[in-house]
Amino acid sequence: MAAPLFLLAPPRSYTSLVNAMLGQHPQAFGLPELCLFNVEKLVDLWRGSEGPVSENGAVARHGLMRALAEIYGGEQTTATINMARAWAGAREDWSTGRVFQEIVTKIHPLVAVEKSPSYTISKIRMQWMYDAFPDARFVHLIRHPIGQCKSLMAINEGAFAIKVEAIEFREDHCVLEPQIAWYDLNLNILEFLQTVPADQQIRMRGEDIMADPQRHLAELAEWAGLRTDAAAIEEMMHPERSPFACFGPVNALFGNDPNFLAGPTFRPHKPKVPALTDAAPWRDDGGGLYPEVIEMAKWFGYA
Amino acid sequence: MTSEVKPPPPFIGAKRLSPVPVNPDTDRADPTKLAPHQEALRQAMLNVFSAQKARRSLERQVQHISPNRNLAEGIKILFDDKGRPPANVPLEDIVEERRRLEYHIKWFEGILAELRNRLVRVKEVEDYAFEMLSRSSADE
Repeated sequence: MAAPLFLLAPPRSYTSLVNAMLGQHPQAFGLPELCLFNVEKLVDLWRGSEGPVSENGAVARHGLMRALAEIYGGEQTTATINMARAWAGAREDWSTGRVFQEIVTKIHPLVAVEKSPSYTISKIRMQWMYDAFPDARFVHLIRHPIGQCKSLMAINEGAFAIKVEAIEFREDHCVLEPQIAWYDLNLNILEFLQTVPADQQIRMRGEDIMADPQRHLAELAEWAGLRTDAAAIEEMMHPERSPFACFGPVNALFGNDPNFLAGPTFRPHKPKVPALTDAAPWRDDGGGLYPEVIEMAKWFGYA
Repeated sequence: MTSEVKPPPPFIGAKRLSPVPVNPDTDRADPTKLAPHQEALRQAMLNVFSAQKARRSLERQVQHISPNRNLAEGIKILFDDKGRPPANVPLEDIVEERRRLEYHIKWFEGILAELRNRLVRVKEVEDYAFEMLSRSSADE
């Protein structure tokens, strides 16, 4: 089976778009957010929706259900989603690595492309990915901390920041501080990638891909051993053609960022990159980025 | 872009910025390990967060309650005052509009399915109640 390609990034780092673009390569298959490695065994995706497993609620299963419906049923309808549930039920005791391997085998020779930002919450989850696919390739996708944090706070009221306990204690109250999530999750990724051979990992800034997608997607394709001809690159410019670039049937609506599902068409643009010393727009005290965040952002190449 | 990570990032092993201690078993921040006063502050923040989320969710629901206005607003961009589509309307806008309408339809289908589901359950309860009533009146 072809080794999969995983995007590692905190949420709101252009992962949905880049995943769908890479997945449109004629030799690749872009999956929705499977969230499989959130847990060790498949049945655990059905266990609990509060506390430490709160990200494993029904919505976390939508991507997996849609992928199974599409791959095994050829379409995403309420009936094929029900079939996907039965498929999962028959494998509930399997490790999630084995389930992912079965999916990858089914779509062979296409290269599976997947991103679930929840994997970056814990190095253990990324290790499960690596254990299941020792030859997998990893793309560390980064975004400027101000852009990423602003976007994170705009979606679902910044709920993801709570999931990773990105909070700042003040004298008599505490507030959500998304730059903590930006730093801690990127640190998790950097530490995990220390265990991966250099030729199986690459780091790229999302802003660079948005500004010059043809060039950077071609670089990514070449690194991943995929075709880089004009037809392949042109196909990657159309993430909206992915079968997962829209809302799913009513029993599995999501599987990705709802903003992406509502408007997956790529419109070339050069993202505005703020200065690292700018005030952080989500802060109510006019404060900016922490020194640690600025240091890491500079190391990633942001001025 | 770099395909090789050399030298290692200077942050490896650095302390995380989240003030919540990490549980080594899960490698995740564990709020149960906070000091009591910090736990109380965190809980107060979560309460405010939940209240705000509920309020904003309600505002969005109210928007959906007036679908006719929303649909009319949405379709307006596709037609001029004589009911014809503008000659230069971008294809992307047409596609987005089509998707938006499809999502509206899915939304209503979802609500319909939920209402039908509830109706079935209520009918079952109603049937059961009538059956009990008829039994008790027969006994009398």
